Amino acid sequence: MFHKILIANRGEIAVRIIRACREMGIKTVAVYSEADREALHTLLADEAICIGPASSLESYLNMERILSATVAMKADAIHPGFGFLSENARFAELCQKCHIAFIGPSAQIIHKMGNKSEARKTMMEANVPVVPGSREPVYTVEEAEKMAEEIGYPVMIKASSGGGGKGMRISRSSEDFAANFQNAQMESINGFSDDTMYIEKYIEQPRHIEFQILADKYGNVLHLGERDCSIQRRHQKVMEESPSAAISPELRKQMGEMAVRAAKAVNYENAGTIEFLLDKNKQFYFMEMNTRIQVEHPVTEMVTGIDLIQEQIRIAAGEKLSLRQEDIHINGHAIECRINAENPSKHFMPCPGLITNVHVPGGNGVRIDTAIYNNYRVPPNYDSMLLKLIVHGNDRASAIEKMRSALGELIIEGIETNLDFEYEIINNEDFQKGNIDTDFIPKHFNV
Amino acid sequence: MLRDMFKKTYTRLDSKYRSDRSADGQEEPNIPEGLWRKCNKCGRPIYTEDVIENFYVCPKCKGYFRVHAYRRFEMIADTDSFEEWDKEMDFVNPLDFAGYEKKFQAVKEKTNLNEAIVTGKVLIEGEAAVMGVCDSRFFMSSMGYNVGEKITRAVERATEERLPVILYCCSGGARMQEGLVSLMQMAKTSAALKRHQDAGLLYVTVLTDPTTGGVTASFAMLGDLILAEPGALIGFAGPRVIEQTIGQKLPEGFQRAEFLLEHGFVDCIVERKEQKAFLAKILRMHRASTKAQGIRNLFESEMAKAAELQMQEENPKESKQGEESKESKRDGGKKTAWDTVLLSRKASRPPASSYIQALFTDFIECHGDRLYRDDGAIVGGIALFHGCPVTVIAQEKGKNTKDNIKCNFGMPSPEGYRKALRLMKQAEKFNRPVICLVDTPGAFCGMEAEERGQGEAIARNLFEMSSLKVPVLTLVIGEGGSGGALALAVSNEVWMMENAVYSILSPEGFASILWKDSKKAAEAARVMKMTSRDLLEMGLIEKVIAEPEPVEMKNLPEIAKEIENSVQEFLEKYGRMSEAEVVEHRYRRFRRM
Repeated sequence: MFHKILIANRGEIAVRIIRACREMGIKTVAVYSEADREALHTLLADEAICIGPASSLESYLNMERILSATVAMKADAIHPGFGFLSENARFAELCQKCHIAFIGPSAQIIHKMGNKSEARKTMMEANVPVVPGSREPVYTVEEAEKMAEEIGYPVMIKASSGGGGKGMRISRSSEDFAANFQNAQMESINGFSDDTMYIEKYIEQPRHIEFQILADKYGNVLHLGERDCSIQRRHQKVMEESPSAAISPELRKQMGEMAVRAAKAVNYENAGTIEFLLDKNKQFYFMEMNTRIQVEHPVTEMVTGIDLIQEQIRIAAGEKLSLRQEDIHINGHAIECRINAENPSKHFMPCPGLITNVHVPGGNGVRIDTAIYNNYRVPPNYDSMLLKLIVHGNDRASAIEKMRSALGELIIEGIETNLDFEYEIINNEDFQKGNIDTDFIPKHFNV
Repeated sequence: MLRDMFKKTYTRLDSKYRSDRSADGQEEPNIPEGLWRKCNKCGRPIYTEDVIENFYVCPKCKGYFRVHAYRRFEMIADTDSFEEWDKEMDFVNPLDFAGYEKKFQAVKEKTNLNEAIVTGKVLIEGEAAVMGVCDSRFFMSSMGYNVGEKITRAVERATEERLPVILYCCSGGARMQEGLVSLMQMAKTSAALKRHQDAGLLYVTVLTDPTTGGVTASFAMLGDLILAEPGALIGFAGPRVIEQTIGQKLPEGFQRAEFLLEHGFVDCIVERKEQKAFLAKILRMHRASTKAQGIRNLFESEMAKAAELQMQEENPKESKQGEESKESKRDGGKKTAWDTVLLSRKASRPPASSYIQALFTDFIECHGDRLYRDDGAIVGGIALFHGCPVTVIAQEKGKNTKDNIKCNFGMPSPEGYRKALRLMKQAEKFNRPVICLVDTPGAFCGMEAEERGQGEAIARNLFEMSSLKVPVLTLVIGEGGSGGALALAVSNEVWMMENAVYSILSPEGFASILWKDSKKAAEAARVMKMTSRDLLEMGLIEKVIAEPEPVEMKNLPEIAKEIENSVQEFLEKYGRMSEAEVVEHRYRRFRRM
């Protein structure tokens, strides 16, 4: 086992990792930028070392400084957390060259899964379903229509340079295909002077479902069920839950097995997440694999009782998984709300600043993962996430009630947050009924 | 504050979790020697692998490192295609310069090169070319007898085998140790390149850091196309020498590639990772077979069209009358000449650059007049029209205010006309038709323009264009303002968009000169006969291209289609003529006016 771990991150995830290490009796080294001198992770870790100015490029993304700090502090492993260097294959490779254990998969796997088209190819070869569609550009109606037939309607017609709905059309049958294709292409030519088009399967009312994976160095892979992260704003997750209301035990088994197969296809190692899109007919398609711990990992921890960070550390240290798939049980229901320093009435503009007062909820089944405290100044240089509020109840309805109660007790003063926005989501009737898909926020909120 | 309030808990170091790394055969964390190198530009540590993968460009500051000659061949040439020429050259010491041979041998040993340049034949994406690359490690790539000789031999052989030449330039200048013999290499290489040029062959130079002295003043600056790497130092006298001579500090960016681009001496700056594809594209566009294929394409489509026409004749419903009635209906509108003037100036009309994008493919913009400056009001370069290489020269007004300023609102300066002429001469060398797009309120009126000879520049274009051996087509897409327009319109045919105008002067100017009242511009527009219909009737232009209304970006594909068909006909028609016939046709066109 490791003697000392350097945490190459900041904020609540750094704090989360420090706690896990402490419980395991491992010393911790925090790295911090000049803007984070008073940050909680800096204060909590056993040792802390400054690695540069506030700009992340000069500090948390600076590989040389982080590696030098690791050597200087005599740490033997690095936990990268999420974001920053967590999915940087080059960094993982450098760690290896410097004889430092990188708590995560190997550089090769990160590289392979980071390349979208290669990941897709690998999954297709492993018979994991992917969103059917053309990776080849098309230019003419004839070609495109042939492709649409192969993929199966409905299809999405997409302009290569398109954006903001421009150059995008949905075609439901061969009858309206030609007109839609030509319109989309014309829009693209006029708007972007580009006639390159793609055709792919149109997924109706998709849910974002992801499966948590654990894999050790010895080829043992298991999944810890799913998380439903359909509540998103511009591809940013806002609220996550586990299990998903849309998934039956049979489907969970089927998708979980697929996720395990996907992980095995790349000889995956450590914790990872397989993201799927699930359509209204319960067809699911592989989207991508995240080769790191996720922000929303606590919901999985709450329903499985497994500490994912500790598992990550054990796997990286070469221990065998002590669990088998049959040991994994999904218990109750967990929801997580991400509380960010942002102003929903100003297009979610980040609003860092001094927190004058914090009061956090508590009680049975309430968990707070955060790095803020009274009189903490949120620096403008980094991500705006302040706090994760996680609740665990017997079922979805009681979890929702608990979240409503907890959100009501949570007080953050001094800066704007999206707390009220989260409150509105939890009170939304469709949300409560479990009628959600990735269009939930655009559909219900004028934001 | 919370500082020092938390209890640190690093006490319970369980033996279970303790392991001795060395006992496991594991090495202690350390940073191996040589993992990092220091960037000599930004001073930051960089990972060697990153630099190699990034084409020897610092991933942090984007600074360009100098590249060894053989690395350069690896980057540009197709795998295993490089055939080196004149690998062994005898050492020469014309001055019997003391210590030269010893130093030469030492450098030779250190670099594994036999001279400061490596030459040979390569394939670049399958396109054959002769390529030479200077290597700065060898006496700062100075040009002595052997360097001049290797270049000359390579160029001569390229002329013989009818191959294009690409030279990657980099040099401190002449090789001092070889005295005047070294200076003569400048003339020798230039003379060989002149013969290569006279044979109608392509010569491209790529200027890399640093290109100075006698190399700049000879082969480096003679390319048909001159490319440069970002930030490369390019100049005749080195910056230190200039500073010492004039006793002043030189401004930031002086003599850098970007400075030369602005001053009209470099066609384009090409990033290193793009260079292979870029060179291949240039080679393809200058390959004889591309032109032949382009012409074949044109003829084939002509045959297809003829067949279509025949079908139409058999089917009397679609007669030509239909077209005429359509046109007459359009004419029947109540549009006055002044309305047309206003339409031709409308800011929403697509600028020339959009026409270029809609009509051509593979456009390579060539900058600069090679004399003084690059004029943003004239955009020119090489492009493909239905696969056939053409030279495109256009007056550009720009799409937004920032562009407008850069393009000087479409009012060319003398250097713009000189750039246009340079590109036309280049078109003549490579036997490419020239297509000009005219859209200007007039030539730029200002002190600087007069100082640099606006009148001379326009006159020179009329003079030289009259005898260009390739077909020239001019299309007035908006305003055709006076001499400023004519300098791109001494053509075999001049066409106008339906709502374009072409006139001796703006109607406002006309009214104020003749009637001392510029408010009578509308009246002037009428009597001046400046609309496309009027000019067609007077026989001053050959064709009017119908426009949908309103003429805006969104209609451009439709408009382009209309133009495309006509351009195709033009190229077919003039493609059949001999050079002499083309010149004579143009002469006659103006002779009768």
